[in-house]
This record gives sequence, C-alpha cells and structure tokens, in this order.
Amino acid sequence: MKISFAKPASAHEGALVVTVREGRHLGATAQALDTESGGALAKVIAKSKFEGKKDQTLLLHAPAGLKLDRLLLVGIGKGKGFDAKAAQALGGTVVAQLQGSGDAEVTLAADAIEGSSLTAAEIAANAAFGARLRSYRFDRYRTKEKPEDKPSLKKLVISTADHGDAKKAFQPLDAVAEGVFMTRDLASEPANIIYPESLAEQAKTLAEHGIDVEVLGEKQMKKLGMGALLGVGQGSERESQLVVMRWNGGPDDQAPLAFIGKGVTFDTGGISIKPAGGMEDMKWDMGGSAVVIGLMKALALRKAKVNVVGVVGLVENMPSGTAQRPGDVVTTMSGQTVEVINTDAEGRLVLADALWYTQDRFKPQFMIDLATLTGAIIIALGDQYAGLFSNDDKLSDKLIAAGKAVGEGVWRMPVDDPYDKQIKSEIADMMNVGGREGGSITAAMFLKRFVNGVKWAHLDIAGVTWSKKDGPVTPKGATAFGVRLLDRLVADNYEK
Amino acid sequence: MKIRFALPPGPVSARALAAPSAEAEALLSRLDQNSFKPEPEEVLPILTDKGWRVLVGIGERAALDDATLRRIGGNLFAELAQAGIVHLAVGLDLSPEQTAQIAYGIQLRAWRTPLKYRKTPDEDEVWHLAEITMLCDAPEIARSCFARLESVGKAVHFARDLVVAPGNVLTPPAFVEALGDIPGIELEVIDPRKAGLNLLQAVGQGSAYKPALAVMRWRGADKKDKPAALVGKGITFDTGGIDIKPAKYMELMKGDMGGGAAVAGTLMALAARKAPVNVVGVVAIAENMVSGRASRPGDVVKGYGGLTVEIIDTDAEGRLALADALAYTSKELKPSKIIDLATLTGAVEIALGYLRAGLFTTDDALAARLLAAGEAEDEKLWRLPLVDVYDDAIKSEIADLKNCSWERGPDHIHAARFLQHFVPDDIPWAHLDIAGTSEAMEDGPLAAEGPTGFGVRLLDRVLA
Repeated sequence: MKISFAKPASAHEGALVVTVREGRHLGATAQALDTESGGALAKVIAKSKFEGKKDQTLLLHAPAGLKLDRLLLVGIGKGKGFDAKAAQALGGTVVAQLQGSGDAEVTLAADAIEGSSLTAAEIAANAAFGARLRSYRFDRYRTKEKPEDKPSLKKLVISTADHGDAKKAFQPLDAVAEGVFMTRDLASEPANIIYPESLAEQAKTLAEHGIDVEVLGEKQMKKLGMGALLGVGQGSERESQLVVMRWNGGPDDQAPLAFIGKGVTFDTGGISIKPAGGMEDMKWDMGGSAVVIGLMKALALRKAKVNVVGVVGLVENMPSGTAQRPGDVVTTMSGQTVEVINTDAEGRLVLADALWYTQDRFKPQFMIDLATLTGAIIIALGDQYAGLFSNDDKLSDKLIAAGKAVGEGVWRMPVDDPYDKQIKSEIADMMNVGGREGGSITAAMFLKRFVNGVKWAHLDIAGVTWSKKDGPVTPKGATAFGVRLLDRLVADNYEK
Repeated sequence: MKIRFALPPGPVSARALAAPSAEAEALLSRLDQNSFKPEPEEVLPILTDKGWRVLVGIGERAALDDATLRRIGGNLFAELAQAGIVHLAVGLDLSPEQTAQIAYGIQLRAWRTPLKYRKTPDEDEVWHLAEITMLCDAPEIARSCFARLESVGKAVHFARDLVVAPGNVLTPPAFVEALGDIPGIELEVIDPRKAGLNLLQAVGQGSAYKPALAVMRWRGADKKDKPAALVGKGITFDTGGIDIKPAKYMELMKGDMGGGAAVAGTLMALAARKAPVNVVGVVAIAENMVSGRASRPGDVVKGYGGLTVEIIDTDAEGRLALADALAYTSKELKPSKIIDLATLTGAVEIALGYLRAGLFTTDDALAARLLAAGEAEDEKLWRLPLVDVYDDAIKSEIADLKNCSWERGPDHIHAARFLQHFVPDDIPWAHLDIAGTSEAMEDGPLAAEGPTGFGVRLLDRVLA
C-alpha cells in the first residue's frame, strides 16, 4: 500500500474518510460535506448510533447529496487527549475498515482536531504511520489466493493543508515502520527458511543502510568460551551464529547503547522436548533477535544520532544424538558454570554468553535484552504487557514512559536476591531453571549474573510477540513488539 | 515459652557491654571464618565448661533496622529451641526499643502447629527452651515496647492456628465461633441465603455446613469516622466442587481461608492494642464441597447488588464468595476504603513465587502505603496490572460476567478485574492475592514451613 500526502481536493470523489468528535461534532471536511449535501449528512448521522466516540465508525455507501462512492466516519472521542497514539489508531482503523472494500484508493481527510495538542501535520503523519503499520500482511506463501481475497486498497492519500510538513514528519516514522516490517517478516518466516545462518544473512543486508555487521561462527565462539550458547545449538545440523551489528551515528567517543536478542530460530525444547500441540509457534522463539535487527534498521534509516550495538545469539534447539542432556554442566564465557536441568530453558543460556560478550567487548552505557523467554510471563502478565526486569530504576522509568508513549506496555517485575536461591545447583554455580513459581523472575535472576554490574534491563516478550487478534495498528500475527518501544527510548533520551 | 526483660547482672559501671564481651572475644578468637561470621542471622551455640554460650551475629550496628532485628530474633529462636538450652539470657547491648524488636522476632518464630492434634508430641515439636530473658539497660521501656508488638504477635499466632486447622475441625460454624471469641470484637453473622448473598451461598451450598458472612467490628475512634474495611476469603476447605481438584496435595486446601484468618488476626491485634481506628472485618465463610446440591459449571447466579455471574469453573470459588462480600461491604458498611485478602489463584504463584503477594489496586496512594508497609514488615507485595484490556476473559455469553476463562493466561489479573466489578469506583480498594505467601514452603526467619499469618502485620501497620 502506497501512502502519499496531498492538499485537500476541491471536489470530493471516490472513497473518503473524515473524523467526528464525540457529541457528533463534525471535523472541517465533514462539515464541508454536510453543507455540500444540504444537511443530509448530519441527518443520516443523527439517525445512527454513531456519536463520534473513540473507536466508533460509520460507513456510508453512496451518501445522499454527495458524489462520493463511500464515506467512512471515524469517531475520535473528545478531541482533548487525541495524541500520536490516537492518530495512529485512526490510520489503522482506516486500513482495517477499507482495505477489503473494493476501493483501490482512499483519501483520509486529516483535519485539525479541536482540543488536541497535535498539529494537523502531526495528525496526518501519525495517521499515515498507523495505516502503514496496520497494512502489514505476510502472504509470501499463499500461491492460490483469489484476487478478491487480497486487499483492494493500493493507495492511501492523506489530505492536509500542511502536506509538506506532514511528509517530513512521516519520514522518521516510515523508517520505524520499515524496521517493524522487517521484524514481523523474520518472526513470521518458518524455521526451515529462517535458521541461524539464514537469519545472519538477513542481518547482513543491513550493511546497505550503513550498519557494520559481523558474524561469529561456532569456531570463534568456541575460542571465546561461549559454552552455554554452543551447548544449546549442538543438537542441530545448523551452525550457531552470533551477529554483531553496529550503527555509529553518534560521536566517536560515545559509549554505545546495547541491545541483545534471543534468537532461537526453532525451539523443540531439545531433549526436554515440548508437547506437540502448539509447537509450531516455536518458530518465533527468535522474536527478540528479530526486534534487535529491525530496531537497527529503523535507527539506521532515520539516521539516529547515537552509537548503538545490536547483538543476537542465533541457535536452533533440536534433540539429536549430539544434543545436550539434562544434567550437563556447561561453562559460560564469564567462567561461571551452569547445570542444564531442563534443555528447554535454553534462551537464558544463549543470552548469558551474548550479554557477557557485549559488556566485555563494548563497555556499553546500558544493555537491554529482549527474549521470548518464559511461559511464566504469559501467566504473570498475559498478552498486554512485557515483563521488565532491571537493576536500574532510571532506565526502567524511561522504558515504562516510552512504552506508554507508543502503546507497547512494559510492567516492572521484581529481581530480588531472595529469588536467587531457587537456582542454586548441587554441582555447578547455578541451574538453568528455578521451578514453576516465579519462573520469569528466576530466569531474570539467572541473566543478572551475566551483566557484570552494567545497567541492564531484560524484557520478557513471550506474551506479546505474537498476537491472536488484531490490534489498532498491529494485525494478528507477529507484532514486532519492542521496535517502536526501543526506538522511542533512544529518540527521547539518547540523541540529544 | 516465656519472654522476660531484665537488667544485665553486675554493677551498672561494669555493664559497658560494648560487644563483644571479653568472653565472646575469647570464643571468637578460637573460631575460624567458616564456623561463625558476625553477620545478622548467624547463631552459634557452644557448650563450654560454664554452660551454653551463644554467639549471635548482628553485623553493623548502624545498619540494624527493625526488620533485621526481628530476623535476628527469629533465627535465634529457630536455632536454639531444640538445642537443649532451657533458659536463655540474651544480652546484645541494644537499646530497649531494639531489644523489644528482637523479642518480637523470637515471639513470631516461636509458633508451632498446636500439639492438640497428636496424642503425644513428635520429637521435632518439642522445645527445650522454656524461658528467654532479654537483658537491657531499661527493661521497663523494652517491656512496654514489647507489649504492643506482642499483641500483634499473638494475633499472628491466632491466624496461623486457624490456617493449620484441618477442614473437619475448622468447619464454617467453627470458624464463625472462633471469630466470636476474639476479645473486644463485636461479631455479626449474616445468613447469605436470607441476605441475598447468592454467590457466597452458591459456593457453600454443596456442603453440609451453611456458609456465612461474618462481620467483625472494632471501634477505636470517633463513631462518626467511616471504618476501614478488611475483607477475607474464608473457604474452610476447597475441594474445587464439581470441577474437583486432583487428589495430590488437596489436603493443603484446608488453608484456603488464609485471607479470612489474616483479617481475623488483624482485628484481634487492633483490639488488643486498643488502636484508635474504626475497622470492620468481613469474612466470607463457606466450604466448597462436591455433592448433589453443589453448584454446577454453567450455573448463573445473581450476586448481591444484582450483577449476574456465570460459574465457568466451580474451583474459581474464592472470587465468587469475595464478590458478594465486597458488594455487601461497599453498600452496607460504608467503608472509607477496602482491602481484601485471599488465597485466590495459582497464577499469582507463577507470577511472583512465594516471596511476594500480588497487589492490585487503581489507587496509587493506597498502593504506596501498602507497598511500604510490606517492605517494613517483611510481608512483601508487588503491584500487578489492573486494567480493562484483560476483560475479554471474563465476558460471558449469558450473564454479566463469568468467573474465569479456560484460556491460558493471567488468571490472577482476571480475578482481580472480576472483583473490581463489585466495588464502586468511589471507594479506594486494594486486593491482595496471598496464595503464594499464606503458607511457607520452607523455614524462614519469622515463620517455619507452614502458615505464615501473612497480612496481619502488614495490615496492622497500614491501619495504625
């Protein structure tokens, strides 16, 4: 779907979307239409249940007194409090309602909204962003889809008097959308297509946007002593990889921000194999790494003025004659040893070495890791919040604020020392699981042992990486949760 | 076991107890680091030719807060109760207030399952320690500080006694009777069937014992002051009902009235120390049994106040009982705020483990007070989300609400959202899910494995 910005047209034709505030207060374009229709529009609205409340819509076919084929009225609530998130939802609603309507082109009249702190250009840009995000579709493997089942909408025109400003404001948002789409693509791809080496290849494509990409294979990792990461991958035919991506948009002497992702391209559970039901979901157990890769792309495309390093540990967790066994003891790059009680608690083993490597090599300002780490977080917080575990209150507050701003909520969870005793091992420095109770917390306590005192936050995104239902700007499927959150964190706090 | 306060022996001038004493120094010098570190909660009894001597680590004196002192006391008791010492004198050169906190820790830890459940006590349950004398320079002050703490400690013991009581002993009427025996508390017993508490009735209707709503009142302040309300889940035994639980560990379900026990304990503490507050304690008492009269999955019941509920899972009964209790409390008792406690969900144990209880509230000020009290009392809480985005899980096809969802997800959050429907928005309300903390899986400094009395000290502090 193409998005463009244009001046409001003098004549209204085709398919048009206009906004209405709560209490049936028509926006400027809607008012003009009402006049044009000789008051017919207001009469129709008055007969409907549509009041202009947030999330309400009213679709009129061949509206009386107008030349339009279709008119969609979108309620935007009270106007006050109509923020960027609401504007994005507006764009998302347009796509959700009209992408299968038969119209190839739709115009959204992004009028100024009374009470909102956003300018018309900002409203237009954010609506475009929301529309773009909502238009995502992963249809690569549908070979026989009938044309009528495909979205008809090919072009969205956003009309606003300040179309020049709107276009400018849309550019960085469009960059973020690019990153989001890359992340969604990677998470949606099946595991016979995306495996450690092919995912590393995907990361390498970021070089064309100015990102330095380095790939470490098993030989190099062995030399570095990454026994935990390598242990997870040793049951697979595929070679494990560690990918380092660097974007240097800041001053040379600035310590980088570091983002670390779990990239288990398929997680069978290993010898502690998972039940068959739902195992196909484990293709997106590399969701954390996909977010880091997509984030790097977004930052590079919008030329972020900051130094950032992204590190992803890529492995496939397979049962086989060479797989690691429950009870095995592995030595991590940090020198600490781990008794692998459950081979299905593999993500933390991958992250342990990736985190240690990152702080050791890059001395970053902070490390934020993302991982579809535990089933327990799905019970703890459901699909509405990612779990946030951190050793730093300020970093946590910044993440919570960024999450609120973009609509990717994070909820802070405890990382108290008393939980530590749940992962005491009888033979090694620690076990890789600490029981069912507080399962996400003990996983975080495990990771904490590998951050070496660096400011750190861990996002357990197991509950939010894949959505079973459509959201305002996220069609069901891979959400890319984290890309917008972290882009916002960086933009608001680290580029000044 | 008795706790006394006394002056240390010897003339005042010679009592500069700048620890460690010469004798302790001599003992210490013969010990290596591995035998004893002078850190809080370290205790080492040594049998010398003069009798037992006990080294107690306290760490840095400047870092001794009340919570640490209580843990030191609790650990001291745990280590020594069965060491063969009968009379122990404790002189740690602390202020009278600090000495009282040590004594409080000792008292809190000095609880065991009532011996009445055996014909002869088990070896493990026999305490040799019969009397502890706390030595300090102003024993009178220490004694009076301790008196206030001790009344809370006794209430904690009371709550633990209730939780550990078997289901055939603490039946619904026995629970009501126990509440009626709390000194200084006025008890009103409401018949759910007559009062329209149909959800509570539905939970209890499978049992041979009638359910009840117990309303306890403590009036320590001006009559006109609105009371704070504490509401507790009091399922004396939870079989799960028709959605019966697996047999394994079902015996632990005798403790499914831990919230009610905490409420009862708090009222006992407030009355004993004549707290200048008005508090009502409401306990929804029922036994969730399987029988021909029991509620069925799919039953629709109209709760107090009119909301209808489809019972999806008869084992999500706590929220049904609480819903009526909350609605009744809000409407009839006109409280200034409501705090409820319940051993409500297994999900909160997955979320927070056994170290923190889940806190749900939309009131930030109340949250802050509860969180701070929890830290101070070592009854820790963690706030969890309470927002409408979770509500799809409790939407019913037939009634206003359903009591849970079979989908894998945050059942503790769904439960909290469910309860929220029964409290009007204008009453500050907090819900504590204490399923993970009401009973300890291992020995801790203030409670051995078993019932903790979680909530009594926390609420006593919040209301004080």
